[in-house]
Amino acid sequence: MLKKTVIVRPELCVGCMQCMIRCAEAHSQTKALASAIREDILAKPRIHIGVGPEKKPFPNKCRHCEPAPCQEACMPAAIRSDVAEGLKIVDPARCISCGMCAMACPYYVIRFYRDKDAPGHPSVAVKCDGCFERVAAGDVPACVAACKTGALTFEDVNLYLKEGTNRLAHAAYGVRS
Amino acid sequence: MRYVVVGLHAAGRSACAYLRRADPAAEIVGVDPAPLPVYARPLISYALAGEMPPEAMTVADDAFFQSLGVTLARERAVALDVGRGLVGLASGREVAFDRLLLACGAGPRPAGVSGPLCHEICFFRGRTDLARVMDRVRPGGVAAVLGGGLVGFKLTMGLLARGMAVHLVVASPRPLALNVDEYVGDWVGRRLADAPGVTLHTSTSVREVEAGTARPLRLRLNTGESLEVDLAAAGKGVIPRIQWLADSGLDLDQGVLADGYLRTADERIYAAGDVAQVPDMVHGDARINAVWPVAVEQGRVAALNMAGVRAAYPGTLAQNAIPVFGSRMISVGAVNPAFTAGAESVVADGPRGSYLKLVFRDDRIIGAVGLDAPPRLGELAFAIRRGLRRRDIPDFWLDNPKNAAPLAAPGGALTGNARLG
Repeated sequence: MLKKTVIVRPELCVGCMQCMIRCAEAHSQTKALASAIREDILAKPRIHIGVGPEKKPFPNKCRHCEPAPCQEACMPAAIRSDVAEGLKIVDPARCISCGMCAMACPYYVIRFYRDKDAPGHPSVAVKCDGCFERVAAGDVPACVAACKTGALTFEDVNLYLKEGTNRLAHAAYGVRS
Repeated sequence: MRYVVVGLHAAGRSACAYLRRADPAAEIVGVDPAPLPVYARPLISYALAGEMPPEAMTVADDAFFQSLGVTLARERAVALDVGRGLVGLASGREVAFDRLLLACGAGPRPAGVSGPLCHEICFFRGRTDLARVMDRVRPGGVAAVLGGGLVGFKLTMGLLARGMAVHLVVASPRPLALNVDEYVGDWVGRRLADAPGVTLHTSTSVREVEAGTARPLRLRLNTGESLEVDLAAAGKGVIPRIQWLADSGLDLDQGVLADGYLRTADERIYAAGDVAQVPDMVHGDARINAVWPVAVEQGRVAALNMAGVRAAYPGTLAQNAIPVFGSRMISVGAVNPAFTAGAESVVADGPRGSYLKLVFRDDRIIGAVGLDAPPRLGELAFAIRRGLRRRDIPDFWLDNPKNAAPLAAPGGALTGNARLG
């Protein structure tokens, strides 16, 4: 089965942080920026722009690993892989905010914020959910929709890899595609 | 091929899932005397504190094992005949295996207390212990907690939440001495000492338990003092369940000794979880790090090897994360430079009020401890696995651990194999 996912090309990122804003907007209650900034529980981005060598920007989001260290570390089984195929999604109702998943994640993509979806709105683990609801509705993830430089694209993994092989072939023969 | 998994909690449950994934046609037999549903034992402290209902501790029910096609034998395993390839159950039934996983876990370490009522001391390891403690909880009463590790700490916080005054009796000079470094340990000690309802007794141990006059129990301390309490509970570590394996011929030390593939002395038998004593990534000797993520990971690696998919286990690594007085405490690997020969440490510049310390030995990172630090110890755990050198950690990372790109990012310090660099 062909599967689409968010491909990150950090070398194309200019650090504009549009993806962070649109990610937070997509995870807000009203799903609109103008009203989202006035909600009582502010939605937070699940993608982060980190500072790399020579202050270069680096878009950093969950890789939805398999096997996922965060999922193995999660005691109440709050990180689920049965919500959407290929995605590891935090169930805020089960999260006890112990911090074990963040301790296990090699990529620093799990943060703790108050969540509108958790009963009583405690601070829980918040990370990328692959915008599975948007994708199911035929849309692309919010960060990809926001990215103007091609640093974030929503592509079929196999086709992306094939394209890379083709680029390599062109490079080997010195032909510009 | 018939796989038998003894123990169905953290390691056994994870192993069942991966055995089925690696070998769709095999027969899998799960042996565990505990009634279903399988629950996450570490969550009992959350149930005690009233932060979650006991039924929310469930992580795998009948349907889970049915969907994997695991046949359940709900009995205790009492004997292992390696030569004939049989596991003996309490009812006298024998189960033959082609590959066996020992994931039978550990029980609580005795509190080392004498006296006529020493059997009244509760432990805090599983559901039955939770029920026993809850039976003795008296809002407005007094409790004593023996042991200043993570379990003792969680017990203290839980009993406080239930409205009891708590005497925390710690044998070390400060609580959490083995889990965190001096700075964090002292911080926790100060917070405990200031917390209303908590009396912290450091460098103290309980000698005897006898009947009290005002309250059911009187604890005699080594300092000559005595405490009258309604409830005494101990968290003194664990002892792997290996008594039933004494005559099996497997190599036993504190637990079942296993190699870098989680294989025991017999090539058909594997061990995972709190019963498995395997090489430690940082210290090099065979150790038991009885924590949830390690057990789940070992269950997975053991299952793959049992099914013939060669998977190396990089070694066990101490790791813990718990909320402490509203702050997040987190530790990985060796956290006390004082306990490790040749270790030195660096404290990263974090946001105000946060603390993040990295521990090195021979220029390689071997541990880290944080308090309200940005939640990025996972990178450092990964760095420990990869043998990252101190000189490979970029300055921008240490200067700004809140906003720096991950070490494991493309172009980051962990993308090359640091061990070979």
